[in-house]
Amino acid sequence: MNFYECNLHTLPDGSDSPSRMALVAKRLGYSGIIICNHMTAGRAFGFDAARLVVGIEVVFGVEIVATNQRALHAKAASLREKADFLAVHGGDEKINRAACEDPNVDLLAHAYKGRTGIGVAAAKAARDNQVSIGLDLDPMIRLRGAARVRWMEVVRRDLGLIRKFDLNLMISTGAKSHLDLRSPRDLVALACLFGLEREQAIEALALPKSIIDLNRRKWASVGVELL
Amino acid sequence: MRSWLPVLRDRRRYIAFELEAEDRVRRGDLIGEIRAAQTSLFGDLGAAENRLRMITFDGRFGILRCIHTRTEECRALLATVNSVGGTRAAIRVRGISGTIKAATEKYIPQSILQPNENKRRVDLGPVSGSVARVHGREIDLCPDDRKITEGSGTRYVGLTSFDLCGEDIDADGTSDGL
Repeated sequence: MNFYECNLHTLPDGSDSPSRMALVAKRLGYSGIIICNHMTAGRAFGFDAARLVVGIEVVFGVEIVATNQRALHAKAASLREKADFLAVHGGDEKINRAACEDPNVDLLAHAYKGRTGIGVAAAKAARDNQVSIGLDLDPMIRLRGAARVRWMEVVRRDLGLIRKFDLNLMISTGAKSHLDLRSPRDLVALACLFGLEREQAIEALALPKSIIDLNRRKWASVGVELL
Repeated sequence: MRSWLPVLRDRRRYIAFELEAEDRVRRGDLIGEIRAAQTSLFGDLGAAENRLRMITFDGRFGILRCIHTRTEECRALLATVNSVGGTRAAIRVRGISGTIKAATEKYIPQSILQPNENKRRVDLGPVSGSVARVHGREIDLCPDDRKITEGSGTRYVGLTSFDLCGEDIDADGTSDGL
């Protein structure tokens, strides 16, 4: 299977260079990584060096950080042409909803914060606009005790929604350092603890590859491809 | 402790793992951390069902024992370990086997390259500092500016030799040394 880690942050957003992430991810069994630095992080570093790492595909995407819905739609529209992969930094109910309503967006990342999840309206919108929901397992790894329980409750509730509306799901770690990365099998084992099926989890890890392939084709307009 | 009857003895699996850490880690700290992760994730009841034991640990590679039906749970709980004794760390499962001998022979390398202890300076414009450790092509850099690692909670900046010398085209990322 072509496993992709779909939401990584590198220097200066995280603490590793893209090539270090690529080397470690390759060792862990990924066939590609997508680096989505936050827009607010500043100028990225070491892109060319990452392409020298053989045996793993390194894709550079963007993670949009917006404070309101209008700014989000504007940024998504302007970045769509430039980036292979567009993620949105969620965590706020309005932003989550707006991201799901925007067909330009590929992934809603970090959607869970406190009690905030995606909700029914956003889930319906995500189905219509083919926006994937990112299940970010970083809280599962980092948090302990009551905070993790709260997070797991919200995720469990929303996995029901994801199943009902048959949404696209991507599993990632949102790693900021190579020590945050986990191998695909570890992520599958973690995801199975929530009641996700094994096949579903494996599919979720392979999904970014097909999205990237779709994005790289030349679309003249919706449903029209330049050959 | 010996079981009363051989048929009642539980079947075991041995998990060979590699610890990736920023600093040296003591065996006792690692055991404590795994226990804490286990009870935090499954509670006392679930932890008792896993029956996890540390068999060996040499500072980098180690072997854990568990019940043969619980290997996926063990994988999950090892994945939730993020620091050991205050040092950022990650446990990579290398493989699972039915005997200690097979786990050692298949998954634990017998000759381990010692990391270089030389202190070299790196200056790459936005990032500068001194080299803390080198593992093959991977370089841990102790940054001059502490702010750069603030968000991720790590002490070192992770780089590779590709970042230092861009012209090394035919590298496949597996050879040792710089």
